[in-house]
Amino acid sequence: MHEEVLLHDLVEKVAEVSLTQGALRVTRVRLWVGALSHFSEATLRARWPGAVKGTPAEGSRVEVETSDDPNDPRATGLFLVSLDVEEGPPGGSGGVPSRAGPGPG
Amino acid sequence: MTERTIRVDYLARVEGEGAFRLRMTGGRVEEAELRIFEPPRFFEAFLKGRSYAEAPDITARICGICPVAYQMSSTQAMERALGLRVDPALKDLRRLLYCGEWIESHALHIYLLHAPDFLGYPDAIRLAKDHPEAVARGLALKKAGNAVLETLGGRSVHPINVRVGGFYRVPTREEMDRLRSVLSGALAEAEETVRFVSGFPFPPVEEDYEFVALTSPDEYPLGEGTVTSSAGFTVPPERFEEVFEESQVPYSHALQSHRRKAGAYLVGPLARYALNHDRLTPRVRQAARDAGLPPVVRNPDQSIVVRALEVLYAVEEGLRLAEAYRVPPRPAVEMPDPVPAAEGVGITEAPRGMLYHRYRLGEGGIIQEARIVAPTSQNQARIEEDLRHLAERTPDLDEARLTSALEHAIRNHDPCISCATHFLKLDLVRQ
Repeated sequence: MHEEVLLHDLVEKVAEVSLTQGALRVTRVRLWVGALSHFSEATLRARWPGAVKGTPAEGSRVEVETSDDPNDPRATGLFLVSLDVEEGPPGGSGGVPSRAGPGPG
Repeated sequence: MTERTIRVDYLARVEGEGAFRLRMTGGRVEEAELRIFEPPRFFEAFLKGRSYAEAPDITARICGICPVAYQMSSTQAMERALGLRVDPALKDLRRLLYCGEWIESHALHIYLLHAPDFLGYPDAIRLAKDHPEAVARGLALKKAGNAVLETLGGRSVHPINVRVGGFYRVPTREEMDRLRSVLSGALAEAEETVRFVSGFPFPPVEEDYEFVALTSPDEYPLGEGTVTSSAGFTVPPERFEEVFEESQVPYSHALQSHRRKAGAYLVGPLARYALNHDRLTPRVRQAARDAGLPPVVRNPDQSIVVRALEVLYAVEEGLRLAEAYRVPPRPAVEMPDPVPAAEGVGITEAPRGMLYHRYRLGEGGIIQEARIVAPTSQNQARIEEDLRHLAERTPDLDEARLTSALEHAIRNHDPCISCATHFLKLDLVRQ
């Protein structure tokens, strides 16, 4: 019942992070989907272009890692793992990890 | 141009499904719209084509807080449609089950959602830091309610033991004895809850509510009764749709209910209490007097006290039913075979107010049409009026404090909206 709202919340977070990090635009978003999250990779891929329209993530690529472990403590969750962003000239915001680690769980 | 990866690890959450648009000119409210974004779920549509026997379990999934209410209204509607008379002992068991839901739902509402508003905490976690005994009391009460649901419903969340005609299984004497002990222990917690919340600060505000609730001659309403309004009329459940209507407003996904040719009305604890005060037990009426409550309460903030009185009532009534329990000779009445085409209506009192179900069945008991009017929908328009009046009374509050006050005003009536809108988005335009 809450798929739309979860997706909306996630897109808002993407926009907030990209804004606070001074990014010009988001090029790639990595998501992690728990086995019991009632989200499917296909649904996320299909909904993504519309959900991010008009945001800094418009046109971004979405990569979805799906867990099949129902015993994972995060199995019911949908996680925003990381963003790839384009930035302006060097000298902008710094101190941010340069590479994403493994997904949650 | 450079590229980098930002690690986030953020769990998507269901929050902010509501917004309140408020446009004020000077101190005057020009526009006040409560917008609920939660998408429609189409339960009424996907009940079509399913068996009448599936309705209690399917509709229970509508609400994680009050699944029993959906089971009670749907079974009542089906039983009326099929002309079934449920054995009195089974009716008592259902009433006991319903008491369990009122206890756990009201305890959640009072302690974890509403009390922090009065005591100046953002949530129950922060409340627990300074008032651990209060939160522990709330959790103990919730646990007692859950024990009722587990004993009669098979589990505490989305019980699975209710069926059209009765239950799949009835408790043993020993199981009921254990439950009686739990409820007996909860009585003192319930009485202390009334004392605790009646000491909260209540600004002297009154709303001109039209109260609507079930009434019945002999008991405080849970599972059955006649629809009664403080405007001075009663109607049988079958005529509900003649008197009340749901409609769509352009700014919200949630439907709003009105009384035809009249306006918004309020269901829930304040309405039940006002229309059934004389059917409360002497202990509960005394607790109300001690709390300083009159028989009709129109201060929306004091709904928390009325809710606490209903917890006390539900514990006491549950205890009475558990003590009087005799194992029924059968867990359910026989179903007709074949199941005929029929239509039936059920209305019961969910913790948040009247819950209406109507079903039209075809041959074989296949659902052809379903209509469900939830208390959240019935209260929506009236809550919107409360919010408008609050904004009119407090024109100078800054945006953050106004948002907080508006969330509190929603929680006066309905945690189903407010728990999802703890971050109510206030769209405030001051001119």
